[in-house]
Parts: sequence; structure tokens; C-alpha cells
Amino acid sequence: MRRTFIVLCLLLLSGLPATAQSKKIEFTEYNLDNGLHVILHENRAAPIVAITVTYHTGSKNEQPNRTGFAHFFEHLMFEGSENIKRGEFFQIVQNAGGELNAYTSFDQTVYHEELPSNQAELGLWLESERMLHLKIDSAGVETQRGVVKEERKQRLENKPYGSFMEQTFSHAYKVHPYRWVPIGSAQYIDMANLNEFMDFYKTFYVPNNAVLSISGDFDIPQMKEYVEKYFSEIPKGTRNIFRPDQVEPVQSAMVKDTVYDNIQLPAVIKAYHIPAQSAPDYYAINMLTTLLSSGQSSRFYKQIVDNDQKAVQVGSFPFSLENPGLFIAYGISNMGVNATTVDSAIDAEIKKVQNNLIDEKEFEKLKNQMENDFISSKATNIGVANSLADYFLFFNGNTNLINTEIDNYMKVTREDIEYAASRYLTKENETILYYLPKSAKTTMKGK
Amino acid sequence: MKKYIFILLTTLISLNILSAQKPDRSKPPAPGAAPEIKLSDYDRIDLPNGLKVFIVENHQLPVVSMSLVLDRDPIMEDSATGYLNIAGDLLRTGTKTRTKDQIDEETDFIGASLSTSSAGLFASSLKQHFEKLMDLASDIIINPVFKQEELDKLKTKTMSSLAASRDEPGTIADRIVKMLYYGRSHPYSEFETEKSVGNITLRLCRDYYDSYFKPNITYIAIVGDITKKEAEPLVNKYFGAWKKAEVKHFVYAKPAVPLTPRVAVVDRAASVQSVIRIGHPADLKTGSEDVIKAGISNTILGGGVFRLFKNLREKHAYTYGAYSGLHPDQLAGNFTASTSVRNIVTDSAITEILSEMKRIRTEKTEEAELQQAKNYTSGNFALSLERPETIGQFAINIERYKLPKDYYSGYLKKVAAVTSDEVRAMANKYIQPDNSYIIVVGNASEIAGRLKKFSPAGIVEFYDIYGAKYDPSLNKIPEGVNAKSVIDNYIQKLGGRDNLLKVKDRTTEMSGSTQGIPVKINVYQKQPNKLYQEVKAGAMHQKIIFNGKKGVQISIMGKQEIKGDQLEELKLEANLNAVLDYGKAGITTRLTGMEKLDGNDTYRIEFTSATGLEWYEYYDTVSGLRLRQTKTIKSPTGEISQITDFGDYKEVNGVKYPFFLSQSMGTQRIDLKVDNLKVNSNPDNGMFNIDK
Repeated sequence: MRRTFIVLCLLLLSGLPATAQSKKIEFTEYNLDNGLHVILHENRAAPIVAITVTYHTGSKNEQPNRTGFAHFFEHLMFEGSENIKRGEFFQIVQNAGGELNAYTSFDQTVYHEELPSNQAELGLWLESERMLHLKIDSAGVETQRGVVKEERKQRLENKPYGSFMEQTFSHAYKVHPYRWVPIGSAQYIDMANLNEFMDFYKTFYVPNNAVLSISGDFDIPQMKEYVEKYFSEIPKGTRNIFRPDQVEPVQSAMVKDTVYDNIQLPAVIKAYHIPAQSAPDYYAINMLTTLLSSGQSSRFYKQIVDNDQKAVQVGSFPFSLENPGLFIAYGISNMGVNATTVDSAIDAEIKKVQNNLIDEKEFEKLKNQMENDFISSKATNIGVANSLADYFLFFNGNTNLINTEIDNYMKVTREDIEYAASRYLTKENETILYYLPKSAKTTMKGK
Repeated sequence: MKKYIFILLTTLISLNILSAQKPDRSKPPAPGAAPEIKLSDYDRIDLPNGLKVFIVENHQLPVVSMSLVLDRDPIMEDSATGYLNIAGDLLRTGTKTRTKDQIDEETDFIGASLSTSSAGLFASSLKQHFEKLMDLASDIIINPVFKQEELDKLKTKTMSSLAASRDEPGTIADRIVKMLYYGRSHPYSEFETEKSVGNITLRLCRDYYDSYFKPNITYIAIVGDITKKEAEPLVNKYFGAWKKAEVKHFVYAKPAVPLTPRVAVVDRAASVQSVIRIGHPADLKTGSEDVIKAGISNTILGGGVFRLFKNLREKHAYTYGAYSGLHPDQLAGNFTASTSVRNIVTDSAITEILSEMKRIRTEKTEEAELQQAKNYTSGNFALSLERPETIGQFAINIERYKLPKDYYSGYLKKVAAVTSDEVRAMANKYIQPDNSYIIVVGNASEIAGRLKKFSPAGIVEFYDIYGAKYDPSLNKIPEGVNAKSVIDNYIQKLGGRDNLLKVKDRTTEMSGSTQGIPVKINVYQKQPNKLYQEVKAGAMHQKIIFNGKKGVQISIMGKQEIKGDQLEELKLEANLNAVLDYGKAGITTRLTGMEKLDGNDTYRIEFTSATGLEWYEYYDTVSGLRLRQTKTIKSPTGEISQITDFGDYKEVNGVKYPFFLSQSMGTQRIDLKVDNLKVNSNPDNGMFNIDK
């Protein structure tokens, strides 16, 4: 009742100038008795609702002789349930005018739907169905085996440089499960039997290992009712949830290797170990990435692509993960330029950051870019729902970072960025991979 | 108010149910009442120079975006098609007071994004930087400077993407669709070719800008955390001085549907799948009374996972997907159904599509299916509203197309009110199976015969990949012509057997560039079969040497022996006069057909080497000379075709040689000019030594 009153007041007020500050994202979070963590954010701006279910299970929870399992399971989750026939999942969402997708990373597997807000209950029914009683049979497993193999071909094997993630992580890690990537190995999926899949489901796909995060046009008490109605009867998992405890030893010498691939232009990948994403240096590392490669005026782009034309593309991104991850810089050579030339050009830019403090003006640009990115990431309901779940799961339950994380960036100093570059982007901490064409041969006919 | 009472009631009801029983999981929960969509209202500013600005307030985030759109008639680009796009890209590359570097730097400094096109500009930033963004945007729109070097870069980029797509069956099909639907003298029939892009000049781009970037035909939508009061002074300051001017208008003939179905085929011998398009132009104007209703008819037929998808994919497993689209447009809309199917079921798939097109015109649609289509349409509409820019687009559309003010706010009501009788009536008006073009890009020898039945006159029309019509019966190989006669004629045209035999060695020096990097290639060939090739591209330096038996490749990666297929190719290349006796070289030849190449009739000859290498060569029927060689290279990334074109034949010591070569492979392309060609200069045998 009170809420209705507030809404009326807002309606009366509209037309007057409003404040220009970034609105706080208000959210409610709580646990169901079965351990499911629920985060709700009401946003009446558009008549839609975004629902995400994040299982705290990714490729690092796999056994070394069953890599690719988590990702394979993501496919099985679309197979159907006691009440949803095979192949219907997509159709139900599409016929409701909605969209859906899913992805698997090293640390998590995420499922999401965007629906018109009057179909919110449908979304909860769908997600609860597959959390409660997923139905998989051998026919479904067979189909998905084929699909996943095609996906592997499409993403890794058929795509120039597609294997870079697999190659980089397998070279940079010796003991931690990050040494294999989510797509895993086809042979292990072929070896697994139906019972193993059911075991995996019963172990990891349990409410106490999941976060349900919803953002959009709904009424919080009503949404709580729906959540209760569809999710409370799902039994709590009782098995031990395997979480790896291997600690990757500190790398003491550079790792260097060459990969021959079906590519036209050589490339170089440079990876450096960095701390886990909840560590303090996380923010300086992110800003370093922006400095080096965000926008056409960024250091890598301006110098190496625009001015020197040594590369057609240069970039960097931090693979910040739940356990210590990798900072990756890469460059794809321009025609006729060696990968080593691009490698040196990247090194030269890194050296500049290590040896010279960024000037005030560039530092201000950097802060402006961070602020823009932070605010723009909240433009969609799906983005907000995902961020809320992420902050809760991977930043020590600090869901409110969705409002305050920008302060952490603004606290970073120019010296912090120089320090992060000097501390982590070192030669002994580096893994270098050269990508060279399988055949560097250029055949031109004399006649 | 009503809505909230309703929610309170349902909350109470569901509470009761909940305490009593478990949820009914057996079927999907029914949707709630359609959400009441309140579209934000918008303000408007009219400048004396004619510029119309709409302000859509949305204070969710402290972000403001602006989109600037020119409202001009479509323009014929004729022989330089593509210049409008390039002019749009050129806008962002410099102004009277800013270089490209400065534009990059200033845009990034405020963390903004900014892009331009032939029809305008889109830019977005945080509210606190919006004035700076306006400054940049207005400078780009009002004071651009077009430079030749930037034009050259953009032309090269466009050329390489065209080279990558010129043989892509979907692209070919879309060209034929444009050409047949709208006819040659309509702007919608135009498409870029390498030739048309080659014709683009700085003058054309500049003239386009000078003639059409005028405030009196421009709309700007400013959307986000901003009020009219805040926007008005900015708009005046940055766009007030923009000078208005009269802008030309154009009138085009209305495209007509064909009186009976017409079947058009593009023969693509390599196709394992047929790309199918069935449709016709449709006189459905944006925002007209019929658009929403007719949209529901189309959704039932071919939206999402509706009838075409269910029939062709789920029931018959002909394809991965099948869809249809009904596109409204002020000048000329269209209806098109599309799919890709394996060769053998091409005619069956067409039969099914046509029968679904007929069914929606004759049968009454079941209420449940109609409801699904409404849910689908409403859902897509609702999802699109998440982006505040959508509201800005609505404001521009209402003004531009003179729509009723409540066109979008009443959208869902209109969707909900569509009846199955209307679905049928709209289908009869806008979906016309008996007046459709049936366009297939595929392997004609396997499919064309069975397509005749779709044309009442039994006629299958043939088009080349650029839409030029030809009569395949005229392309029958003339009596008495065979591979041997074509090659003998070629030898004759080159200068004759005797002159060729006099060539003991040959040195060819070529230069060109690829992706902006200069390339130099020198090739030395010497009888009986020695070859030395040197490639310099930027910093890269590579040599290939063949001593008659073995070949090596020397590059930064060291020296590697060439083996397998590559060695076989090398042997063929090294053989200076293989053409004089292919049989002796172990090569069999077969004349497999005739084809048009850029307007020239050619004989297509298939070559097979003793070790099974295969390739095609194309010989001009008039000049007798070789115009093209194509090879399919198998790689783990799929099959890539490598095309080499030959031109500018000139005589050296009584023998003609091509002085222009162009080779493309995948997305890469290189053009080479022969700078120097010498024969019988007796190069030192030492250079063919692979062990040195």
C-alpha cells in the first residue's frame, strides 16, 4: 500500500527536473531454507524481467579425467524436465516473446532468461523445473555430444587463434585446474556414462550451490511468493561440493612456446599471473588494462596499430578469476611483420608504464573511462542481475559493490598502476606464445 | 491505480493458494495481464534552421545519448555504388580544426563512444561530459574535412570485405533479390561491387556531404538524463549555426510484383546447399494501419519457431532454420521467405514454403496459435523498450512518417486486438505466392530441372553472381570445341608453339600491396624445371627454391623442406612449358562448361594432376587467353577457394604474358603488377641450389 503511494507521488512529480546522480541500485537478498541465495532488484523502467541462475560450478570443479564436464552439463540442462519435453525449452521462451542463453566459465555456470514482465512466473517455473528434476536420457546425451563437438570445432578448431585460451592456460598453469579450459576435451565426454552425469547433477546443481538473481519490472513481495512457490520444495544438496584447493606455485622463469595454426597473420600472446579477483590489486590491474587498450587513443592502439602499423589488432584483458588468474596481452601482426616485432612493441609499451608515471591528463581520461564503463554496465536488467550474483559469489558476499565498486577505482593512484605493472608484468612471471601460420608459404604464380 | 489493486489482489490470492497446495508444475504458468506500457513522453525543440530535436528524459542512469538522422529520399549511386557508406565513414576522420588523432583522444578522454554513417551519427557519454560530446558531434557534422588518404584506406577495407563475400551464396541471393524486386532504376536494387567501389572518388563523397547534410532535413533525438531546459542551450550553441539549404527530392517508380511466379537461378557449381529466397516487393508503408496486423500474419507464417520452422526443420528436417520477413518501408517494402537446404530437397522445400504461404491466406488460424504470435510480438516489443534509445527512435518515426501520436503507446493494444480474420485478410494482401520471385543460388545441374514446375511457362531464368541475366542454352559448348582445342588456341594466342619453345628461362619481377604493406615478388624459372621465388612484404622475407626434384622454403622460421601437395604444386609451377604438353606432365584436362566472368564468356577447363590435385581454368572465348584459375584448398578451417585472375597481356620476345595478377584467398587479396619480365637472360644455376 505504501509503495503505491510513493509511485503516485512520483507520477505527480514527473515533468519537473530530476537530479542527475546515478541512482542507487536497491536490492533485497535472502536465503531460502534449502540454501538458495535470492537477490531481487525492482526496476520499473521497462516492462521486462531478467532472471539469472548462477551455479557456483565451473571447469575448475572438474576432475582432470573429466574435463569439459561442466560445460557439457550446461547443454544437458536444456534437454527437458519431468514436465518439459525434449526440445521444448527454447520454444517456450521464444513463444513467450523472451530470450535465453547460458554460459560456462572456469568458476561458474550461468543460465538466463529475459521475458516480458507478465511472464516472470514462467521463467521461475522453467528454472525451478531443471533445478528440481532435470530429465536426461541416453538419446539426449548422444545428441549433445555431437552438438558440443561441433561447438568445439566452431570455436576452437575452425576459428583462427581459437585455441589461444586453451594454449595459454595449459602453458601458464602446472597444478591448478585452470590448466584446462571450460570446453575441455571431447574424449572425456565420450567416456562418461549416464550415471556420472546424474552424479554431477546431484552434487553441483543444488540450491545451496546456486544464486537466483532477478532484475526488472515486478513487485518484490509478489516475486518472493513466486520464488517460494517454485524453489522452496527443491531439496537441499547433501553431497560434498568439490572445490579445488591446489595452489599454483609462483612461476620463476619465463615460459615460451610456438603454436602453428591455420592463420594468415602471426600473433603473440603474453600472459602474466595475477592475484584472485577479490584481492586489492584487482582494481589497479583493471585500470592498467584500460590504459593499454581501451579506445582508439589507448597506448597499444595508437602506437602499435595506428602510428607504426605493426599490428592489425592489439589488446589486453585481465582474466580475473576466483583463484589467481592471468593478465593477457596480445597482438596480431600486420602483413609482413614478425610476431617477435609485435612482442617487442608490446614490451616497450609495458616498460613505459613501469618506468614513467602516467601524466595527470591521461590519468583523468582513465578515470573517466572507468566511470563510464561502471555506469553503462547497469544499462540492462540482465547486466544488473548478473553483476549482483557475481559480486555476491566472488567478492565475499559483498553484493552492494554494485553501488560502491566505483569508489575502489577512484581510490587507485597513478603509483598503484605503475606498481601493478612492475609487480605482475615481469619476464619471470610471463608466458609467451607465438602463433605462426602452419604454412607461411606465399605462392604466387609466375604465370 | 487499477494495476496496483490488481497486483495486491493477486498477491493475496496466491498467498492463499500457496498455503494450501504445491504449485501445479504440469504445465507452464499462464502469463499475467499484459503489462501496461507507459512510454515516456518527449519534448521537442525547433531551431530556426529547420533542425528538429526530440528530448526523451530517462533518469535511470546519468547517461545521455544522441542520434542524428537525415531524412532524405534514397539516392541512386549508379556506377559508384558504395560511396554513400564511405562518405559516412569519412565523417569521423577529421574536421577543419581536429585531426583523426584528436577526435580519438577527445572521445576517449570523456569515456564516450561516437560513430558515423551516411545517414547520420550516434554518440553517447555520461551526463557530465555531454556538452563536450555535443561539441565533437557538431564539429564532425558541420565542419568535416575529407582526405584522400583516409578515402584510400576505407576503399581498401571495403574491397577486402567484398572479396571475402563475393562468392558467398547468401550475399549472391540478396543481390538477386534486390535486383529482381526493385528493377534496375530503383535505388534499392543497387549493391556494391569491386568495380563500383573502385569508381568512388573524394569528389563524390564530398558532394554528397555538401548536398545533404542540412539541418532542415535532420532529426536529432537526445535521450537520457537530461531535460529540455538543459538541452535547449546546448542544441542552440552547437547546431544553431548550421546553415540550411534546399535539398533535392527524388521520385521512383513503384516496383510491381510479377504477374506469375518467376524462377531465378544462380549457378554455383560448388554448392552443397541451395540458398532459397521466395518473395516480392510489398506496398506496406512504415506506420500504416496494416503494419501491426500484417506483422502478426507474417509471425505466424515465418517468425521465430512458427510454421516455416516447424514444417521445414522439425517435420521434414530439410534445414537448420526457415523464416520469413515482412518489411514495411516508405518507398518500397517487401515480403521474403528464406532458408538453406541440401541440394536434393530444393524443390520439395520450395513446395512446402509456397504451401505455407497459401495456407495462411486460406485457412483460419487457430486461436491458440494466434495468441502465441501475439505473445511473441508483444514480448519482442517489451524487450526492445529496455534501451532508452528505442523511445528516441519512436519520437523520430512519429514525426518522420506522420504517425498518430499514440502509435507506439497503443502498440500492444493493437496487437492484442488482431483477429484471425484480419490475419487472413492481411496475408491475402501482402503474402503473394502466385506473384513471387523464387530465387535459388545452388548447383544448377542438380536442381534447375526440377524448378521448372514452379513457373507456369516452365522457364528457369539464369543470372550470374552480379545479377546479369544470360541464356544458358547460348552457353552450350559449341560443336567441335574441347579441352585440347581451347588449349591449342591459347598456345596460338600466346605466340605459338615455336616461340614458346624458344623460352629457356624467364625472370618476372612483380610489385603490389596488400593491407597497406608493399609487396615485391621475383620469380626465376629455368628449363627444364627449376624455380627460385623471392617474396618481400614489409619486414618479411621468404624464398622458395626448387631444383627440379626437391624444394625448400627459407624464412625467419629457418629452412624447411617442401613436401606433399605443396611439392606437387611447385613441380607444376616450375615446369615452364607444361602448357605445350599437359599429357606429358601427367595432367588430364576436361572442358566442363561455359561461364560468364565479369561479362566475358569463358570456357571452363578442369585440370587433374597425376597425384590428384584439381583446379579450374577459364579461357576467354574471344581472345582465347586465360582469365582465371581457381583452386579449392582444403584446410581444417573448411574449404577456401583461391582465385587468381590474369590480365593486361603484353608481348615479350613473341610471347604474351599477363602483366596484371590478382589473387584472393579467404579474406586476403593481393594485386600485383609485373614491373619487369625478361626471357633468356640465363640466370646462374647456383641460385637453384637448395643446399647453399
